Amino acid sequence: MSTRWYPIYQRGSPQLRIFLPNFWMKLIKPTVDQPSNLVNFACSMEMTRFDMKNYLEKIYNVKPIHIRTRIASGKCRRDPGKGYIVKNDDIKYAYVTLPRGEVFEFPDIFPNIKEQEKEYEKTLKQSKQVFDQFLEKNKERREMPGWFTF
Amino acid sequence: MRISLSQFARIGKWSKQYANLPERYIERAMNQVYWKNPKGPQYKPNAVIQRKKFYFGVHRPWTMEFKDENQPGRYHPKVFVEPVKDWSYFRGDRVEVLVGKDKGKQGIVKSVIEERNWVIVEGLNCKLKNLGKNERRNFEGVYVQQEQPLLVTNEVALVDPSDLQATPFEWRFTEQGDKVRVSLRTGRIIPIPKSVEETIDYKSKSTYKEQSKDTTADVASEITFEPKLCTFEMDIMDEMGIKEDRLPPKTYWY
Amino acid sequence: MAVPNKILGIYNLFKQFSSRDSLKWATLRPVLISNRAISTSNPQRGLMEFFDDKTNWGANEIKCGRSWRKEELRLKSNSDLHKLWFILLKERNMLLTMEEEANERVQVFPSPERLDKVAESMENLEEVVRERNRAYHELETGETGERPGKLATNIFGLNYFYKMSEHVIPKYMNKTWRKKYQFFKHDPDVEAFLVKLRERLYLNKRRKHTRDFNHVIGLLNRFPNMDMEALKQQYPDVDIERAKRSRKYGGHFEPK
Repeated sequence: MSTRWYPIYQRGSPQLRIFLPNFWMKLIKPTVDQPSNLVNFACSMEMTRFDMKNYLEKIYNVKPIHIRTRIASGKCRRDPGKGYIVKNDDIKYAYVTLPRGEVFEFPDIFPNIKEQEKEYEKTLKQSKQVFDQFLEKNKERREMPGWFTF
Repeated sequence: MRISLSQFARIGKWSKQYANLPERYIERAMNQVYWKNPKGPQYKPNAVIQRKKFYFGVHRPWTMEFKDENQPGRYHPKVFVEPVKDWSYFRGDRVEVLVGKDKGKQGIVKSVIEERNWVIVEGLNCKLKNLGKNERRNFEGVYVQQEQPLLVTNEVALVDPSDLQATPFEWRFTEQGDKVRVSLRTGRIIPIPKSVEETIDYKSKSTYKEQSKDTTADVASEITFEPKLCTFEMDIMDEMGIKEDRLPPKTYWY
Repeated sequence: MAVPNKILGIYNLFKQFSSRDSLKWATLRPVLISNRAISTSNPQRGLMEFFDDKTNWGANEIKCGRSWRKEELRLKSNSDLHKLWFILLKERNMLLTMEEEANERVQVFPSPERLDKVAESMENLEEVVRERNRAYHELETGETGERPGKLATNIFGLNYFYKMSEHVIPKYMNKTWRKKYQFFKHDPDVEAFLVKLRERLYLNKRRKHTRDFNHVIGLLNRFPNMDMEALKQQYPDVDIERAKRSRKYGGHFEPK
């Protein structure tokens, strides 16, 4: 269960064991409405659904009851200058079903975007006001250097 | 093939010291790989790299400004950089400016840009820069002062701490074998400032504030290794109580 | 009181193991050898381990120490390294998840260098484990015990390092392998290609030499008081005396 080199298995040979797995899995936000016990992952291309089951059970202590996978083809595009076709990498997606009754909701990891934006706008407005006041004050002193003010 | 930037660009040690970023991240941030070839026996290059020679300005290679300066297709005239044998100007050094409107003034080196032989001295050699000028919105913009870089070869000079005057200097070895800068006028050692090891994350290594995910030094330096006649896998299996005595059948390597 | 010789904190949470002895080992038969007891946090967190701490959500910057170095990892026992691997693996998954979500939301992913720190630590850890295994195999069998390989020439006549693979049947019986891996055989077309390739490589080399030579002249013209030793160090292939004899050297003015 690793993308590294591993001995081949024949009948009677020792059980293959992976000690340092290097697969990655990332949890992604579902794009459509789906049952509350379904979780979406993107993962290493080499992973099979058995690997995923082992991975989640052993490392994350999560017991999936069913896993489906699909490979999404990367987008092709034509190079604007040279005209050849360039393809993005394929991605493997996994849809993991948790036992009935378990609920997973993808959290909002940017909880205060709107507040931050508001604050930014507020400070921008304030600094604009201050600058306008400065201009207003110095309207009569056209040719004076900038430091000659109060 | 991991595309290493080391063949294309060299980022000086002191220019990245303050940022405290791993080398690998700097490489990743600078890389401009348009697309890679699939693996196979082929003559074609493994990747199409959009820029191999970078323009180094005042912006650091991991910033957006650097990316903007080095956009694919952006042209910069060739820059001649004088080769310098030992880099001798460090963050926190007191230097005297030899040119420009601040000629004769002394200041502290704020940052070092080795790729261009530049240092930026705090508060000296400034230029007014207009920010946010927008004619459509009838906004004149705001002027800010910006320090301009100075060449270490002929635009700044180190200051001798014993008499606070600019001096030529030389690298020499002490009897203990340390490499030091020696003022040629007074023969005194110009010490390398403490702020050399300062980074954006800590002032000095002893004052580093540990974060929640950091391993403490005593745990990291604790020795738990015991030499055993077994491989890593055998040791782990032994510890977990996994017994395995089947022998692998014969296989062929070619 | 602060520890006087405290070194910089090291990413990642290894200190959680200080109570190592109290951990109960689970015997795991199936393929993946890991340990449930090593989970760094509350086992109830489950899938939430794919996300960062709640306090870091929406942060602009998340500071952390540097990556593990080889010399530090060499001090650790095999079981410690095994545990650390899974911690790093989880951390990487967490970072990948957070990065993906940040990209999705068109937000800044704070401190992306954490990914590189984890990757560096994992690389170092693997290298240390391989070092130990190599030592064992060399002592016991006289071989490294790693995947063998050899220098080979591919079908285009280019040299590369061929990594051997393990097979159940010997080479002379394995038709599929012989079909798939074709090495260099004499071929007039390939010979012609190689001649052209070598010509190209030679030209590239010569052009680089000319470029360097001209650049050195440019440097000499611009910086007459330059440190010649530094110049020689940077351009060891360029004959500086010859560069000074060039008509490009000296600028467009009449000598006095």
